[in-house]
Parts: sequence; structure tokens; C-alpha cells
Amino acid sequence: MRHSFLVIGLVAAGGMLASPGAAAAQDVRAQLLERGAPAEFADQVAAIVANAGAEQLPTEPLVSKALEGWAKRARVPQGRVITALNQYVVRLQTGRDIAVAAGLDPVPGPVVAAAAEAVGRGMTGEQVEEVMGSASEPQAAATGLTVASALMAQGLEAEAAIRVVGDAFRRGRAPEEVLEFPSALTGLQAQGEDMAQIARRIMQGGGLPSPTAPGMGGRGNRPQTVPGISGEGQKKKKGASGGQ
Amino acid sequence: MSGKERLSPEAQGYLDGEPAGDIGPEDRQAADQFEQAVQAYAGRLQTPDASVDRAVMAAVRAEARGPRRQSVWQWLVSPHPYSVRPALVAAAAVALIVLGRLLIDIPGIEFGDRPAQLAPEAQATILVRFELRAPDADRVTLAGSFNEWSPEGVELVRNSATGMWTATVPLEPGQHEYLFVIDGSQWIPDPNAHAQVDDGFGQANSVIVVGPRGVVRS
Repeated sequence: MRHSFLVIGLVAAGGMLASPGAAAAQDVRAQLLERGAPAEFADQVAAIVANAGAEQLPTEPLVSKALEGWAKRARVPQGRVITALNQYVVRLQTGRDIAVAAGLDPVPGPVVAAAAEAVGRGMTGEQVEEVMGSASEPQAAATGLTVASALMAQGLEAEAAIRVVGDAFRRGRAPEEVLEFPSALTGLQAQGEDMAQIARRIMQGGGLPSPTAPGMGGRGNRPQTVPGISGEGQKKKKGASGGQ
Repeated sequence: MSGKERLSPEAQGYLDGEPAGDIGPEDRQAADQFEQAVQAYAGRLQTPDASVDRAVMAAVRAEARGPRRQSVWQWLVSPHPYSVRPALVAAAAVALIVLGRLLIDIPGIEFGDRPAQLAPEAQATILVRFELRAPDADRVTLAGSFNEWSPEGVELVRNSATGMWTATVPLEPGQHEYLFVIDGSQWIPDPNAHAQVDDGFGQANSVIVVGPRGVVRS
């Protein structure tokens, strides 16, 4: 009986070491094979995911990117997918290192992923740290980085994107409110403002108005009501107003 | 008598003590020779000395007391026979899986894969309308990070009069990357998305950021 407990302990320790990167690797391998991917390709992807998991990096973005690459196989060669995944791992490592430098320990996976994305879209390490520093908690930091990255992708310069997110957090805005900013930016553009004007307004402390404020919004882009499904967004949009 | 010779049944019966009335002289001679050989062999056998008995019993008693005390290192490097109940191992495997999941959910221990948790209000699913003008298309679907990039995931509905394809999709608040797939092969970005970003494969993905109140696009 004593020996049985020893064996169980060893099995348990092995299992703990194997989780969770190994589980994610097995999962993505199974998904790729199910979608018709060759075993060699699936094994290569699984190895990358497993190694990332062993480094305590988030594996979910890698799994999603691998499935995306396979879905686009008609125009993306398998070798290109593997290269992209390896590059993604490097960005995740960079994101994690920045988060650790910013004082986060442990670093939640979503923060690492958001930091990696921000770096991938051109944000410097210092800028990433600045956004993290303005957030009151790791989850808010992840949302702030995602929104700042999206604003930059929309054409807003990095300094203004970081400023508007940081100011919002410092004024006590909740992360979900910050998620409205890309829609707000689009709304301002629909009103005829250009990015330079918007950036100038932000840098002067003007912030971004709510996307549901009067006059905001483009065509056909509001959440629609579908019979049998209620959307929180529709209920709130008429009553919501005001900027920050 | 050589080893290959066999005694007749009559000779064997004679040796077994049966009456010797029916046995012939040859068989009787063979039986007598065999008996003499056996007695000669038995005479050469020696009874073991009493010291052998003592040595054997000493070894048996020592075995009964168990092995000598080993050091930890000796225990680690020496082979050990194990007997394991399969049901117990299966139960341990199940317990391991449960333990692993519990550890992942314990606050303060991060395994890195959980999505960002927003406030309950923000977690509500938001209905987002996607539309694309493609009058010549026979089929348009939507593939993105929200459906694991399955081109078969979301099918758009065509308005024959306008050539506009539309779909309303429930999405969680946050950022989503996606593309339209025309006729199962042509991947194109959404011109009304918040932005177009590098997909890492040398192409572009469309991006929308869904807030708790919905999405405003151009």
C-alpha cells in the first residue's frame, strides 16, 4: 500500500508538470487533424504550443493563430504558419518580460497576450508599461492595451492612444467603458473629424465621447435586435450619453 | 542393465511384491540385479550434517526479521518490486485531473490561458451586425477568432435586391479579428471594420472592438 501511494504521487507530479501546455498542445493537434491537417504539421504546431505552455506563456493566442493559418491554407503555406507561430512566441516572451518589468508577478495570460499584440502593432516597451501603470488591476491593463492597440490600428498616433486610455483609467473609468473608444473614434470620423484633430483634442485632455452620444455613429452599425435573443447593448444605447 | 533396458511387467510386479509364481528366470534375474543396484546407490547416500540444518534455519529467521536498515540513497538507487491495483491508479488519474483543474482556478496561481474577466455587465453577449456588398457572390460566410476561424461557421443571408449580405452574431465584449469568405475560397476584409491589421501571414485581418453598448463602424 505504501508503494501504491508512492506511485500515485509520482504520477500526480508528472501530471502537474505536463499541465497545461501539454493539454493545449494535444487539443490543437487534435483540432488540426480533425480539420484535415497533415500529422507532421499538427505535431510541429503542438510542439510550439507545448513549449510556450512550459514557459508559462498563454497558449490560447497561439492555438487561435494556428487554426487561422490552417483555415487560410489556400494562400498561406504551412511553413509560413510555423514561422508566424514562432514569431508570435517571441512577441509573447517580450510581452511577459515587459509585464514583469512593470511589476506584475505573476503575469496573467491575457496581459501577456495584450502586451504582445501592442508590441506587434508598434508600441514600445515603455509605452506598454505606461498603459499598464495607469490601470488599477491586471485585467484593466489587458483591456487598456487592447484598446490602445486598436486605436493605433485605426490610425491614431501612439501617444494619443496611450493618453486617452491612461486618462480614462485615472479618472476611474471601468475597462468595459474603455472598450467603447474604438467605436467612439469611428463615430468622430463619421462626423468629419480627422485623426489629427482627434489626437489634438485627446492630448488637450478632451478624451473621446461616448459612441452613443448624439450625432455619433455610422450607418447600419448598431447592434441589431434578433427575435428570441436579447442584447445588452440595445437596451442601453438609448439611455447612455456623455463623454468622459 | 543399461538405462535404455526396461523391466518386463512381470519383473516390475515381482519388485512390487507380487507372488513370483509366473515370473521367468530371466525376468527374475533382471529384477534382482535392479534391486541390488538400487540398494547399492542408497548405500552411497549420506545424511547431511546437523550444521547444515542450523545454517538454513538461521537464514530463514534472518529473512523473517526483514532486510537490514538502508540509507535513503540506497533505497532510492536500489530496485523495488511494486504491486499496484489498476483501479487505484485509475482513481489517482481522475484525482490528478481534478486537482489540475482546481489549481488552475485558484486565485494567485496563473497558468496563463484564462481570458480577461470583465465586469458582469460587460460579459453579456452583444449582437453585432456584419454586412458586405457582394452582388456576384453565391455564398458568403464569416470566419474569425470568435468561431475558431471556421469558414463554415457563420453564413450571411443575401438580399437579392441590394446584393447585400448580412449576419447578426452574438459576440463577447472585447477585440475580434475576422474576414469574410466568399464562395468558400476568397478571403476578404470588412471595409466597415474598425481597422485592418497584419495577420502574421503577410495578409490582413479586420478588427472590431465590441463594447458593452455595441459597435459603431464606418
